[in-house]
Amino acid sequence: MSMNATASVSSADVPLQCNDIQRYLGEAESRVHVLRGVSLQLQSGCVHAIVGPSGCGKSSLLYVMGLLDRPDGGRITLGSEAVEGLTDDQVSRRRNEHIGFVFQFHFLMHEFTAQENVMIPMRRLGRLNTREMQERAAMLLEMVGLGDKVRRNSQHLSGGEQQRVAIARSLANDPRVLLADEPTGNLDTANSERVFHLLTELVRRQRKALLLVTHNPQVAEASDWIHEMKDGQLIACTAGRLR
Amino acid sequence: MPPPLYIAMRFIGYRKKAILLSLTGVILGVAFYICAQAQTQGFERFFIKGALGTSGAIVIGNRFQTLHTDILDRGAPGMLSIGHEKPRKFYEGINDPERIMRVVNEFSNVATCAPVLEGSAALATDFRQEVFRVQGIDLTLHLKASTLREQIVNGSIEDFQVKPFGLILGYELADKMRTRVGHDVGLIGLDGEHRTFRVCAVFQTGNLFIDEKYGYVHLKAAQSLLQRPYGVSHLMVKLRDPSRAPALATHLEQLLQHRARSWQDRERGSLQIFNLIRISAAITVSTIILLAGFGIFNILTLMVMDKVREIAVLRSMGYRRADISAIFLWQGFLVALIGSLLGCVLGAALTYGVSQIPVDIKGFLSTKRFLVHWSGTDYLTATAIAFVAIFLASYFPSRRAARLAPVDILRGSGQ
Repeated sequence: MSMNATASVSSADVPLQCNDIQRYLGEAESRVHVLRGVSLQLQSGCVHAIVGPSGCGKSSLLYVMGLLDRPDGGRITLGSEAVEGLTDDQVSRRRNEHIGFVFQFHFLMHEFTAQENVMIPMRRLGRLNTREMQERAAMLLEMVGLGDKVRRNSQHLSGGEQQRVAIARSLANDPRVLLADEPTGNLDTANSERVFHLLTELVRRQRKALLLVTHNPQVAEASDWIHEMKDGQLIACTAGRLR
Repeated sequence: MPPPLYIAMRFIGYRKKAILLSLTGVILGVAFYICAQAQTQGFERFFIKGALGTSGAIVIGNRFQTLHTDILDRGAPGMLSIGHEKPRKFYEGINDPERIMRVVNEFSNVATCAPVLEGSAALATDFRQEVFRVQGIDLTLHLKASTLREQIVNGSIEDFQVKPFGLILGYELADKMRTRVGHDVGLIGLDGEHRTFRVCAVFQTGNLFIDEKYGYVHLKAAQSLLQRPYGVSHLMVKLRDPSRAPALATHLEQLLQHRARSWQDRERGSLQIFNLIRISAAITVSTIILLAGFGIFNILTLMVMDKVREIAVLRSMGYRRADISAIFLWQGFLVALIGSLLGCVLGAALTYGVSQIPVDIKGFLSTKRFLVHWSGTDYLTATAIAFVAIFLASYFPSRRAARLAPVDILRGSGQ
């Protein structure tokens, strides 16, 4: 939710927040001010939807908050830690441990099975041994309804199934924050509803914060908070149907 | 297993045909390198062994006297020259070989040394008469300093040992003179006197010049034949480490005031030819490995271009730039490892196969089969070349992959 709307929320319930984020893209004459002083707090157990016209800075905000891109100004706080001074390797480590991404396209690796795809973030974290990773990946795939397709090559899954594997992969290291960039944008209505339902259930049950970029009004309406963006600024924050 | 290696092992199957082609290039390059080096070194070692076995690591010969001008030498009026060394004055042979041998044997690197009196004599058989080089030897010392025993192809050393007028002839010389072991032949020395010698053995060094021109008699017999009752022509010195011969030869020359030549100096021309052939073969064959490396470079560069989404997603999952780079470096490493291992096995098989090829070479070297030298260094060098070439081939694509900005890729993915 926007900063002014969440002054009373305790920091323990805010796994990720940004303050006064500035971001420019391009060089010289083609330089564009894509984020103009954006501030946002993500609350645990809540689904935050960002809506707005194409090019308004939704995805840019998502990438900056997901530590994939560095802002030109402002501050990002992960839990209680400011990330400005961290090195690229340290930022990668935080991303691996605390943030899960779901993209419009599943981006699964076709050389791996569904289970192996889910294990890839776990291998980087290195906390579990191979057997524990396999068990956790199987459990996550079971949770997204793919328990019977654990060993299936990711190429041989349907679009909806692949996106559910991507969701399981985003949960691999039990992150506090999920960032989803139009996760239902490439799915038919039935799969779209199923994936969104899955995400909201996870947020509720596991007290995760979900930031969702969407063009789909039904998806936005079904969120806890709807943040409307225009020209690189958050111009409105309203409660959704879930709230 | 490191996560980048795990991913690399799966990615390597991408573009299977191209990677197999490059892998084949590495295997063949490594194998050909090993086989080519084994051949050139085989002939070189054979030549060196012959040189060491026939004349020793160092030959100490003529005594010399260094002449100096006065420190200050007045020439024309008003001219003053500073003293300097003039050309040496040489005296043929060694007059006191016992004393020189005692000094030489004091050096720790010297295994043994043997006196040789060498000169020309005429060899007369029923068939013909021909001038040859006769070497008078102290058999006991000569057997220790040379490989004469191994060179005997007919007759026996023991027979020669007990016959004061025994003769050992080179294989080609005996053949040319139509004589063989057990025959009596005549040797005519400087005094023109005809002396009868019994052919006790025939030797073959593999060097046609020696086998066609040389023969051995006992030292005493040679002294009589060549009219030199005292002294010898030279001493042949066997070293424990022949590679250190040049330094010791220089030292001995200064110490003893006798000409001392190492085998590297004596055979410099031939060794340079061998060296050039070896380098030429190495460069030619390494080209195959470099071409294979270029193939790997192309494959990995294409892979980086095709896998940009996967790279972006891996970065979003927390993989560091170094991890992304390592995925591509590991692929290069795996190709180099498999290529080198299989290349070494194929190289050994090829070397063995080549060593079994019958040939009939006579001249500079004489051999009836292809000569090869089994050297672990060649295997290590071939492997090192493969690893360096493939590391360079993988380094640039890997660096490019690591530098990719995930956000730019994700933005360009139609989102």
